[in-house]
Amino acid sequence: MSTVVRAENVAKIVNTAAGELVILDGIDLEINRGETVAIVGASGSGKTTLLGILAGLDSATSGAVQLVDAQLTELDEEARALVRGRHVGFVFQSFQLLGSLTALENVMLPAELRGDAVAQSQAQEILAMVGLADRVHHYPRQLSGGEQQRVAIARAFASTPTVLFADEPTGNLDTHTGERITELLFDLNEEFGTTLVMVTHDDRLAHRCNRTIRIDAGKIISTDTPDVKAEAS
Amino acid sequence: MITVTRKVSGFGFPLIRRMAMRDLRSGEMGLLLVALVVAVGTVTSISLFVDRLHQALLQESANFLAADRQVSSSQPIPGLFREEAAARNLATAETIVFPSMVFAGDNNQLASVKAVSGSYPLRGELIVSDAPFVRGYPVEDVPAPGEVWLDSRLFPALGLSLGDELEVGVAKLTVSRVLVAEPDRGGSFFDLGPRLLMNVADVPATEVIQPGSRISYRLLLAGAEDQLEDLKDRLADDLEPNFRWVSIRESSPRIGSALDRAESFLLLGGLLGVLLAGIAVALSAHRYAARHFDHVGVLKTLGATPQQILAGFLNILLLVGAVAIVLGLAAGGLLHLLIVELLSSLIPVKLPAPGVQPFILGAATGLICALSFAMPAFIHLRDISPMRVIRRDIGVAPLSQWLSYGAAAAGSLILLVWYTQSLMLTFWTLAGAVTVVLVFGALAYFLLRSGRAVGMQARSGWRLALSGLQRRRRESTVQILIFGLAIMLLLVLVLLRTELVTEWRNQVPENAANHFVMNIAAEDVAQVQELIDTEATSGDFLYPMIRGRVVAVNGMDATTYQETVVGPREGQRIMSERNLTWTAAKPENNEITAGRWWTADSTAAEASLELDYAEDFKLKLGDELTFNIGGQEKVATVTSIRSLEWESMSPNFFIILSPGALQDFPATYMTSFYLERKNKIFLNTLLSAYPTITVIEIDALIAQVKSIVDRVTQAVELVLALVLASGCLVLIASIQASRDARMSEHALVRTLGGTRKLIGSSLAAEFAVLGTFAGVVAVVGAELTVAVLQSQVFELSMGIHPWIWPVGPLVGGLVIVTVGLLGSRSLVSSPPMMVLRGLN
Repeated sequence: MSTVVRAENVAKIVNTAAGELVILDGIDLEINRGETVAIVGASGSGKTTLLGILAGLDSATSGAVQLVDAQLTELDEEARALVRGRHVGFVFQSFQLLGSLTALENVMLPAELRGDAVAQSQAQEILAMVGLADRVHHYPRQLSGGEQQRVAIARAFASTPTVLFADEPTGNLDTHTGERITELLFDLNEEFGTTLVMVTHDDRLAHRCNRTIRIDAGKIISTDTPDVKAEAS
Repeated sequence: MITVTRKVSGFGFPLIRRMAMRDLRSGEMGLLLVALVVAVGTVTSISLFVDRLHQALLQESANFLAADRQVSSSQPIPGLFREEAAARNLATAETIVFPSMVFAGDNNQLASVKAVSGSYPLRGELIVSDAPFVRGYPVEDVPAPGEVWLDSRLFPALGLSLGDELEVGVAKLTVSRVLVAEPDRGGSFFDLGPRLLMNVADVPATEVIQPGSRISYRLLLAGAEDQLEDLKDRLADDLEPNFRWVSIRESSPRIGSALDRAESFLLLGGLLGVLLAGIAVALSAHRYAARHFDHVGVLKTLGATPQQILAGFLNILLLVGAVAIVLGLAAGGLLHLLIVELLSSLIPVKLPAPGVQPFILGAATGLICALSFAMPAFIHLRDISPMRVIRRDIGVAPLSQWLSYGAAAAGSLILLVWYTQSLMLTFWTLAGAVTVVLVFGALAYFLLRSGRAVGMQARSGWRLALSGLQRRRRESTVQILIFGLAIMLLLVLVLLRTELVTEWRNQVPENAANHFVMNIAAEDVAQVQELIDTEATSGDFLYPMIRGRVVAVNGMDATTYQETVVGPREGQRIMSERNLTWTAAKPENNEITAGRWWTADSTAAEASLELDYAEDFKLKLGDELTFNIGGQEKVATVTSIRSLEWESMSPNFFIILSPGALQDFPATYMTSFYLERKNKIFLNTLLSAYPTITVIEIDALIAQVKSIVDRVTQAVELVLALVLASGCLVLIASIQASRDARMSEHALVRTLGGTRKLIGSSLAAEFAVLGTFAGVVAVVGAELTVAVLQSQVFELSMGIHPWIWPVGPLVGGLVIVTVGLLGSRSLVSSPPMMVLRGLN
């Protein structure tokens, strides 16, 4: 099984008025193709920063990050954007749809940015898969929170990413809707054979993943494999 | 390891169009579009109107010369001048003007004879009638050889009717028409007496032109501006010292300076319009960009590169800019048509068709405004970190802000210099603005920093407002400066407009004397005055006039003095005969610049010289001038130098002597009166009773000056109105720009129990403080800028304007509170949940 995400001795340090603040310290991890990984930890533990660095949204202060076949730490923002466009999909807690575009246009956006022939029918197909066939021409403000997150998931899978990064994908949703979104996310992940890296507070969500990486004060304190999880449950 | 080589594809046009349209529909782009449309529309309409009015004024002014240029001399114009003019495709005409006694039977009258060639006049028109004292009609011809056209007044004076003959010199000529008006009448103070117009071909037959005659020869020229200038350059050597090149500015300094100042003012208006619209564009672009930070973050997570972001948003800007330019040009064109229509009854001049230049200027302004004012905000978007999608507190690196503000400043400077074509005007306006920004920026910031209270102070509207202003002191300072600059620029314009219009109107007061009477014998003064009082309004002066010439300076013969001390000079010579006067009291519009005015009881022979005259002939205090008056010599010492208001319509004298010097010499007197046009026949009564006196009519000249001043004033007021509109837009844009910050804060206060009344009064108090402070900034800035502009650009006297000191802060406070509350209604009325969810 090939490695799609690799972090070696990654650190993130920021300068504040009170001096240097270490957010991540000596992170080493590997994530294989098709794996589902949850990153968990308390607020301020550094898990969101780690997700940003692994996905190429942010750069590490030191260490090396490899995403699929790209050495992210050696690339500038211009090149990292191209890697994201080709290999990465995102689902965010606050949905992050463009309010000025319809559901369909939001889903078509990654293809348009790549300059690919606009695959309108493919976008419509994915929206149908997430149960929004009759809402394709609605704007985000005309959709409920759950529906907006479905559009975001459709957009993430529309570019058939190698890795899908999700930041608290159910954090803004009620329990029932959150469960339905979780189902959808994992179903599509399986169908598309995507690697899923997810930051979450939700234990049930973390449990659905193959592996759980626990972070505290910027360091990995444990990695639970499926066997450990089984024992724990 | 991969090498990232994929081509950057950028946003496709359909996506850009969709995003732009959506932004426009949702109002995100609305203010930017409106600001750009206003910038383009203001510049286009001002330029169109100014361009057309300028051409019309130039045409009308050219009427003063009956040509675009003249060559004038007391000697015949050489054939070479005509040949060179013909070689440049310039139209030419000739006039010869001389005073002559004309005879009809037993009657005679001194007339000002003007002999003209067939092509006269090159500009303006001759108005004639078929009976004296009636309204005339324009004609395109001139008197045929053997014929003359006479001023109405000459008919009763000479007892003539149309078809009768009169004698000019030894030639007998037939009276064929009544001359009502000619374009170049009234330029010269000594173009005396009623006009007789004849054909230049008849001049030799009159035999009146003898050596020593006072004759003015003129070659009239009209044609392309570059050819006229080329001719001037070609003739430069041949003109000196006997021929004078005359354009409207030399021929009529009153009109010339009014035109210059009006042009400067209109340019300044345009400049301020561009500045204000630019500020509005920058503010709305920054707000647009700030509201798209998240948007860009999302696009970047989806793989959009910084270059794609930049190209994509610049394309959106260019698309919106293009739409704004088209709309602005159309709006500017329509607005200018509306203005022309509205003012058509006030502007009887037929405006020439507009050129394409104002449209090019408008479009270029729109493009430069979009690129220099709006682009920096869009460039910021390129640098937004994609991490913003999960960490919203990540902003923009400060370095790029400095770079972009620098670019905006440079762009606007280029625009301003290009638009005003005046480095001085641009420099002083910008210097005023920069000084105000620096001084008051620092002052406002430190005032807001002092006494920072803990907490939000949400107990009363005032306290909440003040604590808000202090917490957002950087934004508050910027806002005070923007409001202040907008109000300052408007005040500058209002003050200058008032100064200019007052100055112009003062030059030609209502019922100013419009006739001068000269050569009144001393014994006739009382009776002449009495007669004038029966029909007209007397002027406020009576001067004795004595003809005399300077024959020696400090004992040196005047001819030698001219050659050795003064050097060769064109035109005037020190020994020329001049009108001298004596008076005990200093004339009202004369200012002593050196020395002192003589005391009322002085018996010494003292002389007071006009400043330019003294400088031209290198005369100074203490010099002794010897005058020859009617064969008698008189020595007087120069004891004062005076400056004059040449633009006033009163008689001015180069040399005034003390009563002790001149009062024993026989003198004639000069006075003035105001006469309405319909009572002109009174001149005949006056001249019949006192045939030796001379009446100089300047009513036509005054009427022309008044009409030009009125038109220029209207143009100035129109520009002011347009710039006011731009100013209001800046206020709205500035309030909109700060709306988002206030919105979240006030929504939070409301969720925590703050009432609408509290929020409303807090907003009102905040805007009142901002507006009042901005008013103070504006008043100080405006006074400084106006003082510098008045002295450096408009050549007016400086002064403080006490009325703006209370008005500036008061109006600033009221306007900002009104506009601010109107712009923030939704902050108070929307449910806090809507605001917090960012749906408002």
